[in-house]
Amino acid sequence: MSIHNYDVVIVGAGPGGSTAAKEAAESGLKTIFFERGRKPGEKNSSGSGLGPRMWLDFDIMKELSPDVCPSMRAGTAARHYFVDSNDEVASYIMTRPTSSVNYEPAKSFITMNIYRSEFDPWLAKFATDAGAELKTSTLIVGLLKEDGKVVGVIDEKGEKYRGIVIGADGVISTVARESGLRSKWAQKQVTITIQYDFEVSPKKIDDIMGDETLAVWWSAVFPAAYQVFFNDGFHIGFGNWMSWWDKNPLHYLNRCIKLKYFQRLVRILDAKPREFQSHLLPWQGEPYDTHTDNVMLIGDAGGFPCPLEAEGMYPAMITGRAAAEVAAEAISEGDTSIEFLSRYDTAWKKTSVGEDFEAGSELYSIWKALPFSPRENMSWIVPLVSEVLGGIIDWSEPHPKRIRQVARTIKGYLPKIIPMLMKEILPLLTASLGEEKMDLVTNPEKLLAAMPEVELALAQAFMSADDEEE
Amino acid sequence: MDIRINDLVKRIPGTGDFISIDKEKCTMCERCLIICVANLWKKKKDHVYIVDDYQSKCLECAACYQVCEPGAIDFQYPAGGTGVVFEKG
Repeated sequence: MSIHNYDVVIVGAGPGGSTAAKEAAESGLKTIFFERGRKPGEKNSSGSGLGPRMWLDFDIMKELSPDVCPSMRAGTAARHYFVDSNDEVASYIMTRPTSSVNYEPAKSFITMNIYRSEFDPWLAKFATDAGAELKTSTLIVGLLKEDGKVVGVIDEKGEKYRGIVIGADGVISTVARESGLRSKWAQKQVTITIQYDFEVSPKKIDDIMGDETLAVWWSAVFPAAYQVFFNDGFHIGFGNWMSWWDKNPLHYLNRCIKLKYFQRLVRILDAKPREFQSHLLPWQGEPYDTHTDNVMLIGDAGGFPCPLEAEGMYPAMITGRAAAEVAAEAISEGDTSIEFLSRYDTAWKKTSVGEDFEAGSELYSIWKALPFSPRENMSWIVPLVSEVLGGIIDWSEPHPKRIRQVARTIKGYLPKIIPMLMKEILPLLTASLGEEKMDLVTNPEKLLAAMPEVELALAQAFMSADDEEE
Repeated sequence: MDIRINDLVKRIPGTGDFISIDKEKCTMCERCLIICVANLWKKKKDHVYIVDDYQSKCLECAACYQVCEPGAIDFQYPAGGTGVVFEKG
């Protein structure tokens, strides 16, 4: 077999690989990218939300329309259902982009929801239009090595492609494995994420959901489930780290879709199960080992999904762009060593994605403690939230007495709330604000010296809470 | 609502074999039995095995490979252009 020579060889044609291919081709590099499916996107399942930051960073996003991506539907507002230990929806709230959100399209939607079978091919076309070569139905099975160093890739037919290698091949990355960067994820760095797709008529969604086209089912009995509406359907799915499961993931997801409340939604939407998907998703506090001699890992392959909510496509595109830029510099300076490619880490750390990872381990830890800990924490958070919301409209007692009853119930949760604040929230605030500002905020003496009325208010709030019988 | 997930997955045949287990390395921890949503891993008295027709039921998520601490399960993606197709993923 002959060797095909390229400047850049990209394994994977998802959002990361296609972005890297487009940027590499545009900077004049001879570029090829590979897709194991018959077309990009057909092997991918996803939470399927495009974050508004993509419209800030990628001009092409302005061209995304229902003409090219018929499934798109803005996730404008989000419902948060709270499911208690008895499989009952105990309360819910709705949120939409808040007044402090300060740019479009973030004011208009939380996520833009799309099916990957439409979005990924659309994105890949920008790369091929820029001159990159796309080879579909082609599995890369190994790396081409000379003197122990990676110089390219090998496909399943034994064809060899030489060039700087960008691993955009997802969570179980052949490039990561064969280059020695990572043999396998630790169980706490990766989730299994499963989801049903339901078919629903667009009109029913318009009429019944309006613009409330995202939902999180926070739960005391299963890991928090997300519900994402598309033009003619929705996903309901969830994930958790590999180490969490004591029963099959499907057992827990079916518990969600069997909720009376969920079944009522299915009936009124006349929703029909259409597809089922399962995939792994890296979810960790800090990417590391992102590159070696002649190799860079981007997107899921490099562990870049957001440490809080695992937004994946945007980090893949940002790291794809960073890797293509560094590849161009490396080729022009004739140095693709691990030392030179450390510029890749410098580059992505300067981006919006890098900023998320500045507090990565704290964000990761919060998610682990809340949606991923149904029994340990959501089992008390759900009744706590429901107590507060439910206390607002309540005619069972004179209102002053009800306020004291609710306050007493909240007080009963303090032994749970305070450790949670200390363990999860304070570290995040410290990571975001810095030690000095945190000292001002958290030192009670300094705080009370600045605001003496706080002490009085606290004293009054709990003064008479205990003197009343249930 | 009982849903058979295998009715909800499209596949292109011709994958060839892409999953295998090394019985020598397997410690019978059964994590693969718990994690596989397609329920493809089974246990006999002294060994764990994958069902014969896994090629027509596997979702290609690689959870069995990932969860296998002793590294007994090997997983390679199926041949290009074959296997599961997600149209609404």
